[in-house]
Amino acid sequence: MGLAMTGLGLVVFVVFHMLGNLQLFEGPHALNGYAAFLRDMPIALWAARIGLLSMAALHIGLALQLSMRNRRARPVEYTIHRYRHASIASRTMAISGMALLLFVGFHLLHLTAGVIDPGFADRRDPEGYRDVYGKVVHAFQNPFMVVLYLAGQLGLGLHLSHAIASSVQTMGFEHAALNRLLKAFGPVIGLIVVLGNVAIILAVFLGIVR
Amino acid sequence: MKFTLNIWRQNGPDERGRLITYEAPDVSPGMSFLEMLDGVNQRLLGNGEEPVAFEQDCREGICGSCSLVINGIPHGPDQGITTCQLYMRRFSDGASITIEPWRAKAFPILKDLVVDRSALDRIMQAGGYISVNTGGAVDGNVILIGKDQAETAMDAASCIGCGACVAACKNASAMLYVAAKVSHLATLPQGRPERARRVSAMLEAMDREGFGSCGNQYECEAVCPKNISTRFIANLNHEYLRAGIVESGLPSEPESPHAESS
Repeated sequence: MGLAMTGLGLVVFVVFHMLGNLQLFEGPHALNGYAAFLRDMPIALWAARIGLLSMAALHIGLALQLSMRNRRARPVEYTIHRYRHASIASRTMAISGMALLLFVGFHLLHLTAGVIDPGFADRRDPEGYRDVYGKVVHAFQNPFMVVLYLAGQLGLGLHLSHAIASSVQTMGFEHAALNRLLKAFGPVIGLIVVLGNVAIILAVFLGIVR
Repeated sequence: MKFTLNIWRQNGPDERGRLITYEAPDVSPGMSFLEMLDGVNQRLLGNGEEPVAFEQDCREGICGSCSLVINGIPHGPDQGITTCQLYMRRFSDGASITIEPWRAKAFPILKDLVVDRSALDRIMQAGGYISVNTGGAVDGNVILIGKDQAETAMDAASCIGCGACVAACKNASAMLYVAAKVSHLATLPQGRPERARRVSAMLEAMDREGFGSCGNQYECEAVCPKNISTRFIANLNHEYLRAGIVESGLPSEPESPHAESS
């Protein structure tokens, strides 16, 4: 239950993160202005950051605790075990989760803290805002970063395609007529988030946004 | 037909088990899986060897006794049936078939393919009683129940407690079993008064027995011989949340003399 709730909290974040990022397509003024707007509210910003980090920490902690308990529940494995229904996403939640953790760590060091590519960390645009737009465009002109971020999106998509519908089930939402809709709801949201993010990465890399 | 069987042999709960290969010649395509094993055991007895222990009772798919993992799938390759209803014509001649017991910490192996499933009974006991008055049988239709409700309760009640859901689950979780029992009783007026206490007690008992947690992979539904839907698991989660929120003001321990003492 806790795993589902913290997970859904993080899903809400990735949705809004993607929507915020899409302002890249409106040009430097919109994106840099949005970044400045967030930074103008330091208390809210840090509250959100701390909330997100603790939510992620709780999510990881609960996942570890559960998977250790689940491993104990079957001490002797089957010689042959065949899956009948379980999706690839559902069978790789631990792996995609760990890959996401690594990716998010890298992403924070790269585009948030500016540790990995310090050149753009404090650059200002002509309006005096921090040049987030320039930083993103610079990052995704680098094929290495593009591959890394696309891989991150693959992990995110895989994780979300099981995670959201699974959380909905765990929270006990169920309706005879709406069940198919609820089951589809997860992968669709996951797909929208991934497509939005991939659009940004590829638009820069292919020179559509410069 | 002829088959090569790899059967899990284990002398006792604390002994080490291993797969042993047996040949099963002269199998008729119309034999059920258990009849085929009867033939193997006849031959073993004839040779003065210990027969393979496996559980069975009604052999018509309603008692929930048979419990074999056949080539990695509980109750074998067909959906919606128990092992006893699986016929040898389903396999190709000369095939090699691996037979293992249910594997879960909560289901210790007693001997060969027989496991102790009393953990499921203890979960059921923890659920406690329902409100039915003693005395003469109640007249029909005294308590009216909607058709939808009756059908839903019946779908859930068709669980025969075989434990295939546990055997198929990556986490050896008994959620589908508990969900079927909780949903069955919470859907009917007779089970409503105790629904909050029941769901909490049964989930606690499930944890106590060492079952894992639900990862919503729905393998359980895919092997359930009674095709019990995982929507009952959502219903179970709903019942549990409801018990936690709506009824949090009520005492969690019943003061009734009929309550289970654990």
